[in-house]
Amino acid sequence: MIPELEIYKPNNIDEALALLNELNSDVKIIAGGTDVVPGMQQGSARFKNFSSLMDVGNIPDLQRIELCDDKICIGAGVKFSDLNRNKLIRKYFPLLAEAAGKVGSKQIRNLATVGGNFVNNAPCADSVPPLLVYDAKLRIRSSNSERLIDLEEFLIKPYKTQLKPDELVAEIIIPLVDDNYRGEFYKLGRRRAVSISRITLAVLLKSADNTITNLRVASGAVSPIGKRIYKVEKYAKGKTITEELLKELSTMLGREILGETGLRWSSPYKLPVVQQMFYQLLLDLSPNGKVRQI
Amino acid sequence: MKAKFSVIGKPVIRQDGIEKVTGQAKYADDYNFNGMLYGVMFRLPTAHAKIKKVDYSEIEKHNKDITICDVRDIPGDNYIGPIRKDQPIFCDKKIVTPGDVIAMLVGKSEETLRDALNHIKANYEELPVLNDPLKALQKTAPLVHPQFKNNLIVHYPLRKGNIKKGFEKCDHIIEQTYKTPFIEHAYIEPECVIAIPLEGEKGVKILGSIQNPFTTRKIVAAVLGWPLAKVQVEQAELGGSFGGKDDTMNILSARAAVAALKTSKPVKIKYQREESILESYKRHPYVMKYKVGFMNDGKLEAMKIDIVADGGAYASMSPFVTWRTVVQATGPYVIPNVWTDVKAVYTNNPYTGAMRGFGSPQPIFAQESIMDEIASHLGMTPDKIRKINGLKQNSKTSSGQKLTNHDVNLIKVLDTAVTKSSFKRKWAINNKHIDSSNLGYSKANKRPKKAEDLLLKQKDFIPRNEMIKKGIGLALSYRGCSLGAEGIDAAAAYMSVQQDGSVYLLSGLAENGQGLRTTFSIIASEVFGIKPEQVFYLDLNTKNVADSGPTVASRSTLMGGGAVKNAGEIIRKRLEKTLVTHWGIKSNSELLFEKSHVYLKRNKRRRISFSELCSLAYSKGENLSTVGWYKGPNVHWEEKTGQGTAYFTYVYGCQIAEVTVNTASGEVYIDQIWAVHDPGKIINSLGAKGQVYGGVTQGAGYGLWEEIDTKQGFIRELNYDQYLIPTSKDIGKIHSIFIEGDDSYGAWGAKSLGEPTLELTAAAIANAVANATGKRFHSLPLNLEEVVLNRKLRPEDLARGSAK
Repeated sequence: MIPELEIYKPNNIDEALALLNELNSDVKIIAGGTDVVPGMQQGSARFKNFSSLMDVGNIPDLQRIELCDDKICIGAGVKFSDLNRNKLIRKYFPLLAEAAGKVGSKQIRNLATVGGNFVNNAPCADSVPPLLVYDAKLRIRSSNSERLIDLEEFLIKPYKTQLKPDELVAEIIIPLVDDNYRGEFYKLGRRRAVSISRITLAVLLKSADNTITNLRVASGAVSPIGKRIYKVEKYAKGKTITEELLKELSTMLGREILGETGLRWSSPYKLPVVQQMFYQLLLDLSPNGKVRQI
Repeated sequence: MKAKFSVIGKPVIRQDGIEKVTGQAKYADDYNFNGMLYGVMFRLPTAHAKIKKVDYSEIEKHNKDITICDVRDIPGDNYIGPIRKDQPIFCDKKIVTPGDVIAMLVGKSEETLRDALNHIKANYEELPVLNDPLKALQKTAPLVHPQFKNNLIVHYPLRKGNIKKGFEKCDHIIEQTYKTPFIEHAYIEPECVIAIPLEGEKGVKILGSIQNPFTTRKIVAAVLGWPLAKVQVEQAELGGSFGGKDDTMNILSARAAVAALKTSKPVKIKYQREESILESYKRHPYVMKYKVGFMNDGKLEAMKIDIVADGGAYASMSPFVTWRTVVQATGPYVIPNVWTDVKAVYTNNPYTGAMRGFGSPQPIFAQESIMDEIASHLGMTPDKIRKINGLKQNSKTSSGQKLTNHDVNLIKVLDTAVTKSSFKRKWAINNKHIDSSNLGYSKANKRPKKAEDLLLKQKDFIPRNEMIKKGIGLALSYRGCSLGAEGIDAAAAYMSVQQDGSVYLLSGLAENGQGLRTTFSIIASEVFGIKPEQVFYLDLNTKNVADSGPTVASRSTLMGGGAVKNAGEIIRKRLEKTLVTHWGIKSNSELLFEKSHVYLKRNKRRRISFSELCSLAYSKGENLSTVGWYKGPNVHWEEKTGQGTAYFTYVYGCQIAEVTVNTASGEVYIDQIWAVHDPGKIINSLGAKGQVYGGVTQGAGYGLWEEIDTKQGFIRELNYDQYLIPTSKDIGKIHSIFIEGDDSYGAWGAKSLGEPTLELTAAAIANAVANATGKRFHSLPLNLEEVVLNRKLRPEDLARGSAK
């Protein structure tokens, strides 16, 4: 049962930061509420021990998606529906647009925000693998400071991030990717909608003369939190694309994930599947595969 | 019989449609009363325990405005049940499953009451927990209800022919074991009920989300020790039931009534989803051993079936559910030698009871899977093996019943489905494409000895063109209509025609979302030749109409429809008599009731509007109200041999599922389903289609997703984040096709459709996935892990990810 709570609705970021400064851990930030509300309903330990909520879901400054020079800045309060249909995002970061369109259901996407997704840092957060392969940074603010941090560094462990009680994630900043990359976002769930991811993969591949010049890959749901798989990326660099290589990379990815998670109840299913699906994605992204231009 | 109908068979929008989609419909929780209190439940965090002492002193000391209700407040029966009275309203000696309730706290604020639950101190002794139904009958098994000396709830045998000789003469014998899980009804509206004490000696009124108001009345009256007539049960708008708002609602109603009388205030009990899933009953999990003997030409000679149903903690409907199983377990086939044993047993799992399908979806999964296995053993197509053995006109069922009194359309529904779906061509193509050398990850099928085994070697990867496969599969069923030899089968309809020709109608069966109000209004309007909108269906309260038995077993249209038609015809005769006198025509003159008028058949210019005729009859003092009645013919069952006329009539269905399977991930997408049913005469074609769409989707859920997994009796899937039902995106086109066979029973031969639509979908899907992958599946649901690994994987603990 949800207890009685005070709810603050700051009009802008400064008001929000002032409130955070004043109330600190007594206040929990809520944006769309699609994690917070069910969490409270379930009596989850992460959603206890605060006496008020601060709703930042409608602060205009947190809703922007803008192109600034060679970067795109996304307000942390952008809802998945908006992220999914935004032209800039579709053009420059199609994997992120696609992931946004696969979160939950239409109703959930109309409420849930991209910032809330990774601040909650569930293993299955769909936006994380695409943001990781795009090298996303976060602008984090408090009433008296501001810092820039790589998303990768921000995410510590399941449901745990670097965010301090007086801080707010204001923006996600993504450098534009050069357009020789081809990419795919893959999500496997138990059904086609309102589905918690079992496996997610974000892959960006650049090749020339049938040789991999750059590979970026991140996983979600199969690893404790969303992760870049650098070992695979490094190994791939400069290698000639053959079926054998792609299989080798896939097994390597499997080994890396196994190293992260150890043997779990779900491993006999998930581990072979993630290797096979990664192999499939690499085939699709190879020069002779199904072309998908960024 | 009427050749041409004016409303019957046409699409009619349901009467309660607008109010439901606009949010005006009033569900139980929409009702509030002055001074109303709430009730919350006290349970123990264990599955099986002896209650030693419950200490409420903290609450009694500090929360004076909280009323405690437990067994001491029950004036009548504390133990209830449809057959065995084994289920307590409030547990006093033992708890036998985690959903069990010892006490209910009653007060003004649910929040305060929930806090107060923590101040109850219960002293109890843990008892060994029994979870495996296959161990329930072992000598060493803990006894769930020691008074019955063992854990057997019921055992039904069926013996036909000579099973030993039957198997001896067979060319082939195959054996297989099938399993099905607990599943949840997943009604949108969780349980909610209000008990309102009435003034003076008037008794109590129960208002709630209740499937069977007359059963609820019986239970509440027994618990209070009152006459039935002193308890009124009124049905609020029901937000889904699927067989699930019976026992649980009766018990909650009784608790609310006890509390309302103790406090002299209205008491509401409403459950959140978690509590609803925790305490309510589920569909029975079955373990089914099938052994089938057959000849080279495909003829079935002998079938031996051994089924164990997990009844969970209480007998509830197990004796009825498993009885339908024993009747239908061989499927719609002619088999000379049959030996079936169906047993239901107690465990400390959640109890199991009625759910749409009621003991048929489980054996249909087994029987229709093994029919396909037989076909493949003989190199036959699935439709051919069924055609050879399927029931035909005058065939005898496994219980020795000769099918004579209706059109036995089994082969017709099969042929129609096969033709419409191009089954034979598709099945053969898919079958040819099965590459048995590459059935997913061969190695992972075994239990990995070490983690390293899960890493794929070069040869383990599935080639890119072989990942996606198509499959098509069929399932066939017959189903006995209504209660059969389960019990008394009769229904009432109250009808009152007003002087302007508008009509009040009410039957003793309940609108549970199936569209009964509209169906019955159509039947009444057809009898009078008026528009369905002229018929006003009344709210159901047990005080206003006769007990018509429960609204179960797809019996509403058949039984209630029969009663409505009977009521209409009684009044129509009176109107005819009035008109004959008024017109001064011969008493045997034929009259037509059409287009809101009544005509003389041989001279249609002679006519009167229906409304004028009603006004005339009213002015002559004619009685324009009546109670119609419909009673099914007697049926008969020999308990020892399982032989007899189990049901007085049957319906037939065939469903074909076409699927796309990702053999690498185990994802199954249902591209199309053809559902061909003979439900007898269709009353409302729109409602009938709705039944098919809903039933098929629910059946698909049983096939691919739905499963309640328990650990020590505790349920993992307490909400819809874990318990997955199909969404509209998970199922492709559903083609509903009706064959309207003739029958002498019901209104113009209208029989049953609700359950038939659901019972065979999972089986058809399993056969389709087998056609795609070349692998057979023996355990529902065919979730991702099952399709890839042929087994289920389960987390070690019950924690939900998001709750961590």
